[in-house]
Formats: sequence, C-alpha cells, structure tokens
Amino acid sequence: MGAPKVATVWFEACSGCHMSFLDLDEDLVSILSKVELTFSPITDFKDYAFPELDVGIIEGGIGNEEHWEVAHKLRKHCKILVAWGDCAVFGGVNTLRNWIPKAEVLRRGYVETESTVNGVIPIHEELPPLLDKVLPVNQVVQVDVHVPGCPPSPEVLAYSLVSILQGRTPILPNEMLHFD
Amino acid sequence: MEAERKTVKITMDEKELVVPDGITILEAAQRNNIHIPTLCHHPALSNWGGCRMCVVEVDGSPKLAASCVLPVREGMEVVTTNERIVASRRTVLEFLFAERNHNCMFCPQSGDCELQKLAYELGMDHLTVSFSFNSFPTDVTSEHMIIDHNRCILCGRCVRACAEIAGTYVLSFHNRGPRNLVGLDLHASREESTCYGCGVCLQVCPTGAITNRYRTHYAVKGHVKDWKAKESLCPECGLLCPTTSHVHDHMVIKVEGKLSADKERPDRGQLCYKGRFETLKSEGKRLVQPMVREKDGTWKEETWDHALALVAERLKSIRRAKGGEALFGLASGSLSNEELLLFRDLMAKGCSAGYVGSFDGHHFKAVSKAWELKGEPLKEASWKMIPEADFILLLGANPYKTQPILSTLVRRSILERGIPVALAGDMECMPPFAAFQFPVKDEKLPLLIKAFRAEVTAAGKKISQKSKRPSQSREGAVAGLAKGAKKSFMEMVAAFVHSTHPLILVGEAVTGLKSPSAFQDAVKLALSKGLDSGNVLRLMVLKPYGNSAGAWKLGLSSNGGSKAKDLWKGGLLCLGHPKDLDSGVAADLGNLDFLGVISPYFPETLAHCAHVVIPKPLGMESHGSYTSLDGWETGYTEKVLDPPEGVKDSWETLNILADQIGFRHKFKTWEDLSKKAVKAIKSWRPA
Repeated sequence: MGAPKVATVWFEACSGCHMSFLDLDEDLVSILSKVELTFSPITDFKDYAFPELDVGIIEGGIGNEEHWEVAHKLRKHCKILVAWGDCAVFGGVNTLRNWIPKAEVLRRGYVETESTVNGVIPIHEELPPLLDKVLPVNQVVQVDVHVPGCPPSPEVLAYSLVSILQGRTPILPNEMLHFD
Repeated sequence: MEAERKTVKITMDEKELVVPDGITILEAAQRNNIHIPTLCHHPALSNWGGCRMCVVEVDGSPKLAASCVLPVREGMEVVTTNERIVASRRTVLEFLFAERNHNCMFCPQSGDCELQKLAYELGMDHLTVSFSFNSFPTDVTSEHMIIDHNRCILCGRCVRACAEIAGTYVLSFHNRGPRNLVGLDLHASREESTCYGCGVCLQVCPTGAITNRYRTHYAVKGHVKDWKAKESLCPECGLLCPTTSHVHDHMVIKVEGKLSADKERPDRGQLCYKGRFETLKSEGKRLVQPMVREKDGTWKEETWDHALALVAERLKSIRRAKGGEALFGLASGSLSNEELLLFRDLMAKGCSAGYVGSFDGHHFKAVSKAWELKGEPLKEASWKMIPEADFILLLGANPYKTQPILSTLVRRSILERGIPVALAGDMECMPPFAAFQFPVKDEKLPLLIKAFRAEVTAAGKKISQKSKRPSQSREGAVAGLAKGAKKSFMEMVAAFVHSTHPLILVGEAVTGLKSPSAFQDAVKLALSKGLDSGNVLRLMVLKPYGNSAGAWKLGLSSNGGSKAKDLWKGGLLCLGHPKDLDSGVAADLGNLDFLGVISPYFPETLAHCAHVVIPKPLGMESHGSYTSLDGWETGYTEKVLDPPEGVKDSWETLNILADQIGFRHKFKTWEDLSKKAVKAIKSWRPA
C-alpha cells in the first residue's frame, strides 16, 4: 500500500490557510514524506481529475459554480473531506456579501471601485458565475473534519492532518478552537 | 443571616451538597465550584432564563431545566453535564450563531466575547444548520457606542441593566418573531432617544451587539490575554466609583464598573458616560516637553531645567517688584489632594501669593457661609442617602452634567419607590416624571427658594389645616409662577412638609450666584426639617469638579475678590483635566506679566497669554487621593498608566519649583504628603 493520497483545493478565501500550513517549516517535510500530494493550488491543474484520494482538503467557501462542482468532485473521490479555516467552515469573511444582492456586489467590485475607470463586469463562458451567496462547504457536500480558524494555526492544521493519517477523526480540543 | 436560613440537601453530579433554601441550582453550583455555562444570566441582574445555555437534568426528568431560574429543593438530584445536556447546549448555541451575523473575524468584539468563548467551550467547530443571512439595522448615531443588531442574541441583559441598574428603561424588545430586536424608546436611534449614554448595556453585552467606539480596532486593542486589569477609582465627579481599567500597550482599552447585585453601594457599581467614555477620549496631543513662548508669540520646546528655572525666576521677580499680593495660584478641582496641597503650599507659603484658590472656589463662598448658620459644625448630606430619601428637591442642579450617577439614583427613586421629586431651574437632568417642575431661569431661583421657605414656615405654623393657596402676604414671592404652577408649588410645599427624610440637592446655578443668600435660604429650608443623625444636614452641594470637596477643604477656595484680581501681575495655573479651562475661568488672565501653566495638554485657550507651559501626568497616571463629593470619604486611585516618557510627576515638578524659589515644605515623601492632605481634609471645620 502506497502513501495516503491527499489533495488540497483553494476556493473563495485568501489562501491564508495554505500559508499557515506552509508555516510548519521543517515539520512540513516530515508530514509530506508520509503522504502523496496529488493536487494543491501550486499544481494548478485545471481539470480537477482527482484520483481516488484518502484525504481531500478544502480551503475557502463555496462562492461560484466552479467551487460547487469541484467540491462535489472532490467529495466523490476522497474518503475523508476536511474543511480548512473559517471560510470553509462558516463562510468566513466572504459572507459579508451575503447581505447584499449579487448584482450590487459585482457592480461595486468591478465598476464603482474608486480606482476603476470604465470598469465592466467580466462575463465569459470560461468564467464561473458567482453564486448568490457564499456557503460553508458543509452546506454543499458532507464534511468529515472541520478545522476553524482564520487562519488555523500551523499546529492545529498539523494536529488534524496527522490525526487523520493515523486513522483517527480529530476532535479539536477547546484551546485549539478559534474563529479569528 | 445566612447561617439562620434553612438549608436543603441536594445531589449535584453525584456530590452531596448542603445549600441555603431558595437559591437557584446555578447559584448552588457556583458556590460549590461546579461550572455551568451561562449566557443571558448576569450576576448583577435579575434572572431571565431565556438562553437555555445553563440547562441541567433534574431528577432524571426528560425535559432539561434552566438552572438559573429553578430553585433548589430538598432531595433534588441534578446532573450538570452529560452527553445529552452538552448536545442540547451546543444545538442552542448553533441556532444563535446561525440566526444572525456572528462571524468573529469581522467583529470588533472577537476575543472578548462570551458567545465565542462558549462556542470554544462546547466544542462547536461547525454549524449543522444553515445561516439565515437576515439583515438587521446598525445604530451608529451615538458618539460612544455602536449597536449592531446583527450581532445580538436577544439575551436581554442590556434591557435588564438599563432598567434595573441605570433606572432608565430606554431599552426594550421591539418587534416579534425573527424580526425581534432590542430597541430604544419607540424605535428611536441612540442619539434621538432618551438614553443617557451610561454604557451599562455595553458592559453587560456578551457579544459584539453593543460595542465601544473607542479602541475597537484589533490592531489597537491587541489580544485580550495581553491586557492587564487595573483596579482604581474614577475621580471624575466625586462619587469615587470603583473601576476596572483594562490596559494594553500604554493605553486604556476599556473602563468597566464593578456591577453587583448587592446594595452596598446604592449605584450597584454603575459607571456613567464620564467614567466609562470620557477618559478614553483623546484630547489632542499630550504635552511631553516644557514649552516657552518667544517674543514673537511662537511656542518653542525648552528643557525641563530651563523652563522650571524660568517659572521660579519670573515669580520671584514679580514678588520682589510688586510684593506677594501681585501673585496668584489657581488649581483645578480635578487634581488629587496631594497635588492640591503641594501646589497650595508652594504658592501660599513659598511665593507668599496673595491669592491661592481653585477654579470653582467661588462656589464655596456661599457654601462656607451657610455652614456657619447653626453655630455647631454641620455635616453635608451624603449622596448615599438618596435611596432613603422620601422627598428630593433639586435646586438649580443638573446631576446629569455634574454627577451623572446621581441622576440615576434620583430616577430610580421615582420609578421604584414612587417618591416625589421636585425640580427647580435646570430641567435637562430628569425626564418629565418628576412630580413638581419649575423651569425658572437661574436668576429667579433665589426668589423661588425664598418663597418655598416662607410657605414651609407658614405651613409649619398651621400644620393642622392644609393650605391650598399661597397666603396673601407671600403672594409676591410666588408671583413669577404661572397659575397652574402655583397649585403645583403648594403641593410641593405640602409634600416637603409631610416628608420625614427630605434631601435637597443644590447645584451650580445656586452656589454660583453672586449673593450667598439663596444658598443660605436653601440650608435654612433643610434645617427646618431638622438634622439627620450625626448632625447631618439634609442638603448636599453638587460640586463642579471631581475633587472640589478636597480643594475646598484644603483652603483652595475663593477668599479674594475682584479687588484682589486687579493686583495680579503673575501667577501659576495647575490643570488636571483637559476640560478644566472650559468653564472660562482663565478668561481674564490676558494681561499678566507672567503666566505659567502646569498641564497634561497644551492649553490652546491660553496660547496667546501664557508664557511657560510645563507638562504633567493625567490623574490616572499617578497615585492620588480624592475626597468624595460629600466630603465623607477619601478614595485612593491607582496608577493605571505610566505617564508619557519624559513627563515628570507633580511631586518632582513642584519640588523643583519649590527648591528654585527657596522654599522648603514639610513633606518627606508622596505618602507622607498624602497622609497629611487627608488629615487636613478630615479635620476641616467650618471657619
């Protein structure tokens, strides 16, 4: 049996959770030597043709149709799905737009920004349309492990991942829980 | 008392407990160090039982019970934690999170939030229900506080605190069902409402629904775990309310009152807008280096040595040329007793200044004269007598401006005990539920007091027959009142005559009058009801500054007059508070040979006429004693913050000045000074 296969994806979020994971420094080497990392934001494969995975990790909320689709794909191909960070767990800071109609959000972002001249809202067949509301991942597909935090500290990310690799479902102790 | 109370035996988490009968399960648990999470419960407020966070299992009943409202009963078996209970609590918590916008990372209260703490405690790592994303209004109209209904969990703590502690009844629940929210008055904004801005709602709010407008940004306030709590007293108005100041990075993040359910202090640990917010206000740039005004009118930084030597030299040279009468020293009533005494001795003894007083000393002129009326020393009434008073008369007083907590106590007296309250003069301080109101102009107050006294005397003479109308001979005194007001006036007289514990609060509008006779009439009016035990007069003076009582009793009161002012050639001002100059006290200091100012901030209003400005610490930047409003107590404040780097404390500054002037005072240390100041105040007797 080879090393457990892991894939991570980056949805509507700032990539802070991935950065926090990279902050593990030398511990990162020992963790990565135990897994086979098949997908990550760095590989940048556009097809999302996941192999059969042991662990799928999502950073970010479900904000557009691509996120929606990839989340379903990943769920289908992984045994354990992990939601990394407040955006994936609760929707996070992206949900600020959930109180505002989508059209208004797009207009504010692409047309009315103070630094924008002759702005247009980009529409293209290759661009995934925005969903009406950003949703936490568990509102779209079933999530097995939630690791909240903005971002979760490297230790918390490592704790949860190592637990999974050791065959346990991690329950974060109270002092590791953080929503900010 | 408790020992005599009946006790009951209960079992809690398999432990046998003996607890007083009548207490709640939650209280029993807390007394025995058993933790039950709570949210809507607050120890200083009445029980609510609304949030269901404190549910426990009682006698194996399938329905969980709210422990904060269920009293213990003999033989009760309580389980505070099991899987079912925790699941129930977590589900309720999830609903609270899902109901509105509780995203911690864009909430200013994150890290200092009870809702968040509970989520961690109960291991809520995600929500199993979906968010509502309903939108609620936000109220940013207040200068001090923000209400964000999106973060409200409707626990009702603020509503209870507003009624039970502040006695304001401004907050209440509006709307129904999912649109339910905490509102002010009848859907008013904070600014338009009758809210007094005391901020008790802010202090009890467990979430970010009511937040402080000061120090809200996380970059400023840092992590709660890095905060240091400093216990002190608020020196703003003389009530010496106990405070907890949370300090981080040389900055006060927030000031809280010591809210409590017991009535040891009648205000129950409340703070007012002054104590809670004004100390957080930044009043411009702090002065850290002495400044000297050049010949061309520009201000230049100067070294401490030079600046202090210059002050001493100028004072000395004026004394040499014109004598001590040409010098004056004016201190603010917001300084500590130690600073006041040190400053007084420096000016009076060191410089032989002709005049040493406080900014509000002229108010004392009337007061001191009246104190001599009875021949024996009288004691001023204490503000703690308000809850026992059965009639309160406010004469030209605006406690909301001077001692805001007193307006709370008077309001609560009206609402909770239904006592008659009469207002004469300023109407701003009280909502319209005072029984008698006479919105007369300040200059008419003496007439009104005189008439009141006359009617009380007349009523005393014919106590058996109730007088309905003012008698003919005194008609003139009440003539200024409208027809309806005359009837009300006579009713007020009757209420006063029939009261057994009346209390008269006299404010600046009366003590500030040129003639002291109005105040004397007020004292005589109080005397007509006899003294309270311990020679206590049924009257108190609402003094303008936080430590006016201390300043007056240290002799820093006005005994000069306009005549003395004409002689003034030079002097020294000592300020404690950025607002000290607001009273216009320094308006006629324009043409002096020398004016030195010791102040925490640069005194902009004196920029054209002062010559040297010396920095000093703020009140919260040094230890100090303050005398309570009634003069009964001494409170010691703690050093909450360090003064800005380079600022010498008052002890050092005033000592250097004394040295330069060639004066040796008798105080060895600050502690010694403190002891002597307090002793001098305690042994004060009316002259």
